[in-house]
Amino acid sequence: MGYVKGMKCIECGREYSISPIYVCEFCFGPVDIVYDYKGIKKVLTKKKIEKRGGNLWRYRELLPIDGDPQAGLNSGFTPLLKADKLARELGVTALFIKDDSAIHPSLSFKDRVVAVALTKAKEFGFDTAACASTGNLAHSVSAQGARAGLTRFIFIPASLEQTKIVASLAYEPNLIAVDGNYDDVNRLCSEIVSRYKWAFVNINIRPFYSEGSKTHGFEIVEQLGWNAPDNVVVPCASGSLLSKIWKGFNEFRNIGFIKELKSKVFAAQATACCPISTAIKQDSDIIRPVKPDPHTISKSLAIGNPAEGYEALNAVKASGGYGDDVSDGEIIDAMKLLARTEGIFTETAGGVTLAVTRKLIENGKIGRDEVTVICITGNGLKTQEALYSKTASPHYIKPTMASFEEMLGEIKDGDAVSIIPAVAGDKKRRR
Amino acid sequence: MMNKRVRLTFPQHLIKEPVIFTMAKKYDVMPNIRRARVTETVGEMVLELQGTEENLAKGIQSLRDQGINVELVEGDIIE
Repeated sequence: MGYVKGMKCIECGREYSISPIYVCEFCFGPVDIVYDYKGIKKVLTKKKIEKRGGNLWRYRELLPIDGDPQAGLNSGFTPLLKADKLARELGVTALFIKDDSAIHPSLSFKDRVVAVALTKAKEFGFDTAACASTGNLAHSVSAQGARAGLTRFIFIPASLEQTKIVASLAYEPNLIAVDGNYDDVNRLCSEIVSRYKWAFVNINIRPFYSEGSKTHGFEIVEQLGWNAPDNVVVPCASGSLLSKIWKGFNEFRNIGFIKELKSKVFAAQATACCPISTAIKQDSDIIRPVKPDPHTISKSLAIGNPAEGYEALNAVKASGGYGDDVSDGEIIDAMKLLARTEGIFTETAGGVTLAVTRKLIENGKIGRDEVTVICITGNGLKTQEALYSKTASPHYIKPTMASFEEMLGEIKDGDAVSIIPAVAGDKKRRR
Repeated sequence: MMNKRVRLTFPQHLIKEPVIFTMAKKYDVMPNIRRARVTETVGEMVLELQGTEENLAKGIQSLRDQGINVELVEGDIIE
């Protein structure tokens, strides 16, 4: 049995029973899921959660489903790494990486939201799952929808690069390449959802879908020993990850898992498309939609008209956080820094988050002796093209010892030459 | 006839102009305003527009031509 009381419009407060609606019929404001926190507090304990499997459904009472999970049974509970080498580089004392680059099955945090969306879609009786996506969401719906036994329709602009399509096509969804630009695809999908009884995960299922993002925040708190961090830096596209991490922290406080909540939530965007961080920096109540620079490398964050921008803005303000944006060059530097220091190859969105964190530390918005968590939301193997010609080159040699040792002499890096005195040990072993 | 639910963002110089009324009259589009707010520098209005497909397209284009940002209320759907 679930603990959902109903749905409520964030703008006008009108209440609705649970159904696949996504905006208030009166004021067209976004609707949110409301839970019976008193009931949850009675049945859910930290010990109970700790005994459950290592996946996002360990928090199932705080997710909007009625029955058992039906998708993403192995998604979530990703590592929270203490990043000491990176901390030294940034000049801070306690830095953590919440690493969703390692999430099952499709290596981005979208696996969290899609797990919840597809479970709810099946509860509603839908047999078809759909989305419009240029990357991570398409991969996750294609993959999880296959396992959940749903017919899948994925919409993309026809101009999308081949490399981005392959990772979806492998799962054999119905991939629809629309002859038009991003706006055309947006418009078409919003018309399709009103005519076909399909579960469009981020349109008519959005209120349920975005609840899955809370689990990223729940895990951070649990993995910090049931403590909320001082700061969380979150990449923003639609704004839903940020607003739901904040909602998750507040829910843990409501049910008594954390005593007080002093966390500040920070929004990270790319300068090529930063409607949310701009509103924060200008202290504006209104988010102006923008047209993203089509050449930016951080395409997964290039949402000019964010669906949950206001919720993200309000979360940042309520928590006392801030927001900032960074250039493509800063994003690439940060991707390489994270890989070099902590061995995590993140997608461009992760580069955005780390680069913004660095900026926030440098300008004093994040204290150097505070506990800070950086949310890494996707795997770098998906956006390798961003680093083409931006990495170091291989050392080319001939297949001879002379050529090898000549190269070795040229390498000045201490790590690389520490392999030389192995010959003596070899002889000892042979005796 | 069809309906479109849109969010308009007005630049400062158009906040005081009757752009919705003018568009509605010229293109025979019926506006039904659900929500609005105005700050010193920017205005925002959420509304439903009803009309023929052709008139809606023309009306929305006329708003865009004046410098008003017209977007879907559900936000960008491509993620």
